[in-house]
Amino acid sequence: MKDFAIFWGCTIQTRFPFLEKSTRMVLEGFNLPYRDIDGFTCCPEKSLVNNIDHGLWILTAARNIALLDKAGVDLVSPCTGCASNLATVNSELHSNHKEKNKVNSILNEVGLEFKGNNKLRHLVPFFHDEVGIPAVKNKIIKPFNGMRIAIHYGCHMIRPSHALKNDDPLDPKKFDNLIRAMGAESVQYMTKLLCCGQGLDRIDQHENALHFARLKLKELRALKVDAMALCCPSCYLQFDNNQFLMEKEGEKFGIPIIYFTELLGLAMGYKPEDLGLDSHRIEATAFLEKWQRLNGDLSKTTELNRQLEAGFGIAQL
Amino acid sequence: MESLNFKLLEQCSKCGACYHICPSCLNLEGYDPRAVIKDVLAGQHEKWLSHKSIWQCLECHHCLEICFQHYGFENTMAAMRTLAAKKGMTPPQVKRGWDMFIKTGKLGEPVAPARKKLNLPEAAKSGAEDFKKMVKIYREAKTNPNF
Ligand code: SF4
Ligand code: SF4
Repeated sequence: MKDFAIFWGCTIQTRFPFLEKSTRMVLEGFNLPYRDIDGFTCCPEKSLVNNIDHGLWILTAARNIALLDKAGVDLVSPCTGCASNLATVNSELHSNHKEKNKVNSILNEVGLEFKGNNKLRHLVPFFHDEVGIPAVKNKIIKPFNGMRIAIHYGCHMIRPSHALKNDDPLDPKKFDNLIRAMGAESVQYMTKLLCCGQGLDRIDQHENALHFARLKLKELRALKVDAMALCCPSCYLQFDNNQFLMEKEGEKFGIPIIYFTELLGLAMGYKPEDLGLDSHRIEATAFLEKWQRLNGDLSKTTELNRQLEAGFGIAQL
Repeated sequence: MESLNFKLLEQCSKCGACYHICPSCLNLEGYDPRAVIKDVLAGQHEKWLSHKSIWQCLECHHCLEICFQHYGFENTMAAMRTLAAKKGMTPPQVKRGWDMFIKTGKLGEPVAPARKKLNLPEAAKSGAEDFKKMVKIYREAKTNPNF
C-alpha cells in the first residue's frame, strides 16, 4: 500500500481531538503507512469559501493537493467535508486545463505545482477498498453481534460522485459492509440518507439545525437502535452536541453517536476511555454495557463450541 | 463561480424532479429553488439576494446526483449566494468564518493541552504563512484583466 498523508481538517483538531486519537489508534492497529505532513490549511470549506471567492476556494484546495504531489503520497481524511472538497477541486482542475494553468501560475510562485496525481479518499471507503473487509474481520476480537446500529453516511462521504467515485451516491453500501463486518446489524431506516443539517448552524439558523437533527433522532428513537455510527466531525457535532442541547431542554433521545474509528477500535479490543468515548456529550454507557454483556455471552458460546469441537469425531464412549 | 447556464435552467422550469429529493425543500418552509429559477429566467433574481432561503441550501448534492442534466438546483442557489456575498449580504457567522479563514488559512487551531492529555503528538505545522503569501499573489493577479 502506498504511503498516505492524513488530512485532519480544522474541525477535528479544533473541537474533537479525541476523534484524532481513535483514528490514530486504528491506523496503527492495522499498521497502515500513514504520516502527518506540514503545511496544510483548511481544505477549504466549500459552503464558506466558494460562495465568497470561487477562485480562492480552488486555489487553496489545489495548494493542499500540491503538497501531496510534492511529498508523493496519497491522502486519507476522517472528515467527509475535507475529502469531498479536495476531490471536487481535483476533478475540476483535471477537466479544465485553462484553470489548472492559472492555478499553477500562482502556486509556482510559492514553490508548488498542482499535478493531482495522488488518490484522495475518505477514511470509510478507504478501509473498505484498500484495507478490505477480510482484513477488517481478521482484527475483530470483540464484535458487535446482536447490536443494532444506524449508519449516517454524511452527504460528502459519497457526493458529488463524479469527483469522489467511491460508492453509489443514492444507495451507498460500503459503510454498511464495514459495520456488518464488525458483526452489527446495520439498521435500515427512512431518513438514512437525509443530510444532517449542521450547515444551518453555520448560517445562524440554529432552530432549523435542530429541526433537522430531530428528524433523524426521532426515527432512531422509535426504532430503538443502540447507536448511530458516522464518520464526519460536522455530522458528529450535529448529532452529539445538538442532541445534548435538546436533551437539556427536556427532549430525550438517548442515541449515542459513535465514530467509525471508535467502533472499529472497540471491536479491536481497545478500551473505550483510551479511544476517547468518555469525551462524548451523549453518554455511550448503555451501548457499551450491552456490548460487553453480549460479548460475555458470546464467549460462553465460544466455550461451548470449543467443547463441541474438541469432541468432534473422537467421542469418548 | 461559473455563469449560470440558462438553457439548462429552461429545462428545470419544466422538470422540478429534484424538488422531491431535496432535504431543504422537503423540510424547510419557504425553501423552493423552483421559484428562484423562475425569477432568474425572468431577469428578476434581485429580490432573492436578501432572502434567507438562499443560504439554506445544504450543498448535499442530492439534486445534482438525481438530475438528468447533472446540474441541480444547487448551481442557482450558489449563484444567488455569490451575488449576495458580493454585496456584503452574508449571515454574520459566514462573515466571521471568512475573516478567520483569510487571516489564518484555517477555521480553528489544534488545542495543545487537550492533545497532551490524550497523548497525541504535536500537530503538524499549518501552512498559514505560505497561504497568506499565496492570497496576496492571487489578489494582485486578479487585478490583471487577462488573468
Ligand atoms: S444541494 Fe441544496 S438544493 Fe440541492 S438537494 Fe441539497 S439542499 Fe437541495
Ligand atoms: S436541476 Fe435537474 S432535476 Fe432539478 S429541476 Fe432542474 S433539470 Fe430537473
